[in-house]
Amino acid sequence: MSNVCEDHIFSEVFKTHSKTVFNFIFYKFGNEEKAHDAVQEAFVKLWQNCAKVSPEKAKSYVYTVANNLYLNVIKAEKVRLKHASSLSNDRTNESPEFLMEEKEYKQKLDNALNALPENQRTTFLLNRIDGKKYAEIAEMEGVSIKAIEKRMHLALKSLREHIDGI
Amino acid sequence: MQEYYLAKWLSGELSEEELREFENSQAYASYKKLKDASSSLMAPEFNPDVALQRLKEEHINDVPKVITLNPFRKFLRIAAVIAVLLAGSYFYVNTLNEKIGTAYAEHSEVMLPDNSKIFLNADSQISFDKKNWDNKRNVDLKGEAFFKVAKGKKFTVSTDFGTVAVLGTQFNVENRKGFFEVTCYEGLVSVNYNNKESKLPAGTSFLVINGEIVDNGMPNGSIPSWMNNESSFESIPLKYVFAELERQFNIKVSSKNIDTNLLFTGSFNNTDLNMALKSISTPSKTNFNVEGDNVLFYAGNTPK
Repeated sequence: MSNVCEDHIFSEVFKTHSKTVFNFIFYKFGNEEKAHDAVQEAFVKLWQNCAKVSPEKAKSYVYTVANNLYLNVIKAEKVRLKHASSLSNDRTNESPEFLMEEKEYKQKLDNALNALPENQRTTFLLNRIDGKKYAEIAEMEGVSIKAIEKRMHLALKSLREHIDGI
Repeated sequence: MQEYYLAKWLSGELSEEELREFENSQAYASYKKLKDASSSLMAPEFNPDVALQRLKEEHINDVPKVITLNPFRKFLRIAAVIAVLLAGSYFYVNTLNEKIGTAYAEHSEVMLPDNSKIFLNADSQISFDKKNWDNKRNVDLKGEAFFKVAKGKKFTVSTDFGTVAVLGTQFNVENRKGFFEVTCYEGLVSVNYNNKESKLPAGTSFLVINGEIVDNGMPNGSIPSWMNNESSFESIPLKYVFAELERQFNIKVSSKNIDTNLLFTGSFNNTDLNMALKSISTPSKTNFNVEGDNVLFYAGNTPK
């Protein structure tokens, strides 16, 4: 019987999901340190209860633990994300104006993201950065897919409104 | 356009028609740019290997797994169950009545909370509620006992046959299989048998054999004869005499060719079996034979 208590299975679960747990918490609270801690906490709990949690359940278990950890405990901070070097693919002859404009846009996007409600931002970033499907995000958050689609829709809408200054 | 079409667009779930409509909308360019820009976003560095290393060093080595915790939990569970059982049985036992009994060939004396005394004849049992004694002086009796009741509230003796109620007196109650006798030695005793109340003044007795009330003589002395280690009978069927003999000496009595319903008047000593046997056989004109704990009574020349 495969069991999370076995070291190699536990390590495998850790390597597969720890990054997403980290991002999940980071998107919510914008606090890197807390996100690291959440990963540790969630997987320690998993280890402690390894006999009770099947490998299939391990994934949603760690998300739930991590999510509950800071629920109503810490205040969300600004989510500082890095941007890949450029927005466009051909960057051979970029004018200073273009670069300037791009920099401005990134700034606006950052601000807009931080202005989003926590659950919309988390959904948006899990999808855009981690490439998570709505179904997966729904499982992590423990809500319906429909709810995630709504969050995504609203996130896009308010990001655009924020950026375009509507 | 369907509900949450922006989400559907991002996940590529829009129909061609919807997509065309969306692409022609004024806002499309903004959303397109947002989609492209957000795809280049990056989360902070996170190295799973480093994190796993840290987890193992800082936490897991010090953290016992549930597997090792389990025995303790199990222990707690068992401990809790035992505690509940103990507490439960404590309360249960506490509510139980006080019980005292005697075996064959055994007598006993019981002091009740109000200093009333009960003398138990052989093979008899009483039980009473010690806690509630002051409110309700009631004793359940199986077998035979002599009561010396201290003055006070009504004192009742409950038997399978009926209830005996007194205020303060001395009386004897015997209830055996098919046999119920109440003898009053002092004061006044009220016997409730088959919902009929009979008053027994001192020096009288009330006897029921096989469901029939029998008139019998006056008791001798001021205490039952068995209190003086003697069992006496007045016109009592032989079988009850034999039964009493069995109780007093812890023996097995059987009979052959004898009508055990014949009435017997007489007494036997409760300490000397040989004497007792003679005391029964002579007046009843029977013979007896003893073999260990077995006694056989037979009539005339009946062989063994």
